[in-house]
Amino acid sequence: MMLSVPAAGIVLILAWINPSYALYFHIGETEKKCFIEEIPDETMVIGKYRTQLWDKHSNSFLAATPGLGMHVEIKDPDTKIILSRQYGSDGRFTFTSHTPGEHQICLHSNSTKMALFSGGKLRVHLDIQVGEHTNNYPEIAAKDKLTELQLRVRQLLDQIEQIQKEQNYQRYREERFRMTSESTNQRVLWWSIAQTLILIVTGVWQMKHLKSFFEAKKLV
Amino acid sequence: MEVVRVFLCVLSVFVALVSDRFVVLAFFSQSLDSDFTFTLPAGRKECFYQTMKKDASLEIEYQVLDGAGLDVDFFISSPSGQVLFNGDYMFCFDNTFSSVSEKLIFFELILDNMETDEDPDDWKEYVHGTDILDMKLEDIMDTINNVKARLGKSLQIQTVLRAFEARDRNLQESNYDRVNFWSVINLIGMMLISAVQVYLVRSLFEDKKKIRT
Repeated sequence: MMLSVPAAGIVLILAWINPSYALYFHIGETEKKCFIEEIPDETMVIGKYRTQLWDKHSNSFLAATPGLGMHVEIKDPDTKIILSRQYGSDGRFTFTSHTPGEHQICLHSNSTKMALFSGGKLRVHLDIQVGEHTNNYPEIAAKDKLTELQLRVRQLLDQIEQIQKEQNYQRYREERFRMTSESTNQRVLWWSIAQTLILIVTGVWQMKHLKSFFEAKKLV
Repeated sequence: MEVVRVFLCVLSVFVALVSDRFVVLAFFSQSLDSDFTFTLPAGRKECFYQTMKKDASLEIEYQVLDGAGLDVDFFISSPSGQVLFNGDYMFCFDNTFSSVSEKLIFFELILDNMETDEDPDDWKEYVHGTDILDMKLEDIMDTINNVKARLGKSLQIQTVLRAFEARDRNLQESNYDRVNFWSVINLIGMMLISAVQVYLVRSLFEDKKKIRT
């Protein structure tokens, strides 16, 4: 079983080897890094990450440490958890949004072996793709049997669809924004009027009360 | 009032040096434009690194979406301190000047000329059949590439506009909270003060009477 590394295995490795042009950052052992993606509904998001561990002996980052996992937790705009899974040192997670809004993607390392983390630093390469960037065009070409021209036009259509979705979402957000602004505006007005009235009433009450008090004390 | 820091910065860095880096192809080709939104806690600094190639250009746009004065310290440093070098550039968002307010930061990386040799969307081996009118095909392809690039740009601009809108929305929501909070404080304050005033004035006169007898 170990001897016959199937072609699929090689394909799998190739799929994980991204050119190292992704953004990367460093994460501590118990540290949790969260990213927010504000997306319209029915949008697919694919996240890929690759980890490297700092090796004190060679003073460099080693690739693909086994036993070192990352826990990925994704929350929807209503703070409900839609994905909470453990992945290996290299992973790929995907989800589709069902409500428009701010989705939160959190990563933290889940290493059981304390020794691995003695250097203290884990380098995480992260790439998050949203919407039409998630489409796998070679796959679509194969499934629908498209010529190159048809495929490129299909890509343009997908791009336009994504832009349209974003614009619809923008309209919904603008409506919320407008409601908040108008509500604040109204409250400021009503509160100013109420404050003036309260001040007048308080002043009148004070004067009346003190006047009757002084009259009772026979000072006026 | 504190100086409003620059909250939108467009930075271009051109890297030119000899590079014989081997580009590994993948089934999912690396997206060269990426944007991230994250929360920077108070008093913390977060750094990100981006590997650059020869003759590539990097453009970073960032926007503070929420948090106090909508300001953050930003700096970018090249590898080994040299100005034009092939390697990993580090850029950091610094919120150490603020001890109480956390900042919500959006940033976008736009990379150009990272893969100078081949077209990232080279699907020749995946397509089926051929298109008729081979001679005009090149022109059509060029136009399509053109449209694709423009649509990509539209999408980028849309992303930035979305960030601006999010910033304004957060600002308005914090206005709303502020108005509510201070109104209630105001009301309680006024009632307390008027009661205290009346009590104090009354007590002035009551003490005098006691002293007389």
